[in-house]
Amino acid sequence: MSVIRKIVHIDCDCFYASIETRDNPALAALPIAVGGAPERRGVIATCNYLARQFGIHSAMASATARRLCPDLIIIRPDIARYRQVSEQIHDIFRDYTNLIEPLSLDEAYLDLTANDRHDGSASRTAAEIRARIAGEIQITVSAGIAPNKFLAKIASDWNKPNGQFVIEPGQVGGFLKELPVQKLHGVGKVTAARLHRLGIQTCADLRALNRSELSRAFGSFGNRLYELSRGIDNRPVQPSRIRKSVSVENTFAADLPDQQACLDALPGLLQQLERRLNGLHGQYRITGQVVKLKFNDFVSTTVETRSVHADPGQYQELLKAGFERGSRPVRLVGIGVRVAPAAIQAPAPATGTDDLIPDSAPHDGQLALFKD
Amino acid sequence: MRFTVSRDALLKPLQLVSGVVERRQTLPVLSNILVILKDQELSLTGTDLEVELIGRVSVEPGGESGAVTVPARKLVDICKSLADGSTLDFSQSDDKVVIKSGRSRFTLATLPASEFPTIEDEKGTSSVTIEQQKLKELLDSTSFAMAQQDVRYYLNGMLFEVAPEYLRVVATDGHRLAMQTLSTSNETSGTQQLILPRKGIMELARLISEGAGELTLMFGSNHIRARMLDYTFTSKLVDGKFPDYNRVLPKGGDKNVIGDRKELRQAFSRVSILSNEKYRGVRLILGSGELKILANNPEQEEAEEAVSVDYEGDSMEIGFNVSYLIDVLTALNSSRVRIILSDANSSALLEAEDSETAEALYVVMPMRL
Repeated sequence: MSVIRKIVHIDCDCFYASIETRDNPALAALPIAVGGAPERRGVIATCNYLARQFGIHSAMASATARRLCPDLIIIRPDIARYRQVSEQIHDIFRDYTNLIEPLSLDEAYLDLTANDRHDGSASRTAAEIRARIAGEIQITVSAGIAPNKFLAKIASDWNKPNGQFVIEPGQVGGFLKELPVQKLHGVGKVTAARLHRLGIQTCADLRALNRSELSRAFGSFGNRLYELSRGIDNRPVQPSRIRKSVSVENTFAADLPDQQACLDALPGLLQQLERRLNGLHGQYRITGQVVKLKFNDFVSTTVETRSVHADPGQYQELLKAGFERGSRPVRLVGIGVRVAPAAIQAPAPATGTDDLIPDSAPHDGQLALFKD
Repeated sequence: MRFTVSRDALLKPLQLVSGVVERRQTLPVLSNILVILKDQELSLTGTDLEVELIGRVSVEPGGESGAVTVPARKLVDICKSLADGSTLDFSQSDDKVVIKSGRSRFTLATLPASEFPTIEDEKGTSSVTIEQQKLKELLDSTSFAMAQQDVRYYLNGMLFEVAPEYLRVVATDGHRLAMQTLSTSNETSGTQQLILPRKGIMELARLISEGAGELTLMFGSNHIRARMLDYTFTSKLVDGKFPDYNRVLPKGGDKNVIGDRKELRQAFSRVSILSNEKYRGVRLILGSGELKILANNPEQEEAEEAVSVDYEGDSMEIGFNVSYLIDVLTALNSSRVRIILSDANSSALLEAEDSETAEALYVVMPMRL
């Protein structure tokens, strides 16, 4: 083991809702949520703590939320504004470290191992960062400080909202002992249920199993469970994350009744996807195509194939194959591509079809024939 | 269905047809080929939903018509491993196919022919009839410039432009462009543009590599179909807008350089050894009567060549990806080439010196070094 790291997970408290309240203080005493309109089948993106008392949570259908709390104010999200605020927060982060890994607009990991402020104390530095965000941007954030990413993320949830929690390296064992397994990253409903069936409730229970037993029961994730339950997580804070896929999806205001209606939805999605792909500036190459469908009973299915470009015809075929699995009305259609970093392409043969240099790669000096 | 066919007549079409079958498939029936016997003619069809190839083989008289699909790979391997000059007896019983040859006997699983996706005959809007070898030249001189895995999917293919008096093909990856025009008289009203996917080009080039005789290209709104005596090749078209090639053809280059093609190509190849392996940049220094080519790599190794050229005028310096230049000098077959340049940030035009006879044109964008 090398140096003990100091990782901070910063998580804004109901970020979108906080910004809305900050900009319109009249909302502060009311239950509010940011999300899509119930009549257009929107979902809740965030809600304030008042709304949470009604049992509302993110990803809940707006219609359900409205039923739980008829007075709920649902605000349409203004992502451009939230992104701006997120940028301001990142400006503050950058005063402390360049090792910032954003997880979304409102969450990021900071690696403060090399930080020397406050005598190198990560928790006092985190407190300063939180105070600056509260003062300069007027929203509150919570922080978790721990020797690795997964513990930092659990810790940031511990004293939420507007709080922080430290897991010192020496406390890791004790902290994990009582930790319910569903708090582990990657353990969702299904895995948790399987663990519970095996009589495993806490990380201490999990630690009773060895690596091979866990691998047998959970495949490659078993190995990860083995490490997580012992507080081991060596993933570095990666300033730019490597994408594995790029996709766009659309939930339709009214269910698409048949296959043809789904096919008709493709051109619009393709355009969106193309815009997203153009934004990647040739850093990635395509390795596969995926279509996702969610039927009117919320059962979803994905179909994918290997491919080297986002071929519209192939999407049609995948969509047809996906539709046939359900053959019932569809509420959501998504299309996407699997990608891999462009740099790992096979080297060009010596005699030279070296036409793989990604377009507009900023440093190679090759000029483009046309701008599009 | 039942028929008897000679192994040697079957093997080559079978190999070509199964060539379009992808190893990894979303649908099981796509790893099969469709075998149809009708009027004493055997037809074999392979598809990957993007490209379809039908091969026709004549069989010995006395067969029984029918249609079924069989695993492509296995049928090829069986046919290949049988002795030269042997005969295959092919018969279908229920959901199996039995192949007998001499003392060998193979029973293959089948899937119903009705499950096999075939591309429907589409009424073409225009057609071109040319010698197979002419088309092959066209593809060979331009296909290297197609993009391979570009997110601009329409570049991973080749543009076909059909006008009443010519057929033109254009390929570009966004850094260089290759274009060739063939004078033909075609059945078309107006000018039609369509994009063939890269795989379609590769399969078509393979199919006509040794072929003699004429070929008719039928252009439809969704497909292109090539008909030959023994084969029918169909490819889906790429649905997209190809960049306007006229806009990127350089105009007004004032530096006209003429040199020996082989000499230039060899000089570029030698210099390229010490260019950066990834970016392949070389520096060209043009002066009256001489072109200097320089390269260096991150290890500070250097290569330098001087080639005599016909050029009178200002000197200039320009960088290129050497592979792009070598590709062009390999594709051209004239003894001397003309290179037209204007400045270090503008594209170069390359063509055969006697461009009366050569219709191929190449555009290469420089590199900033």
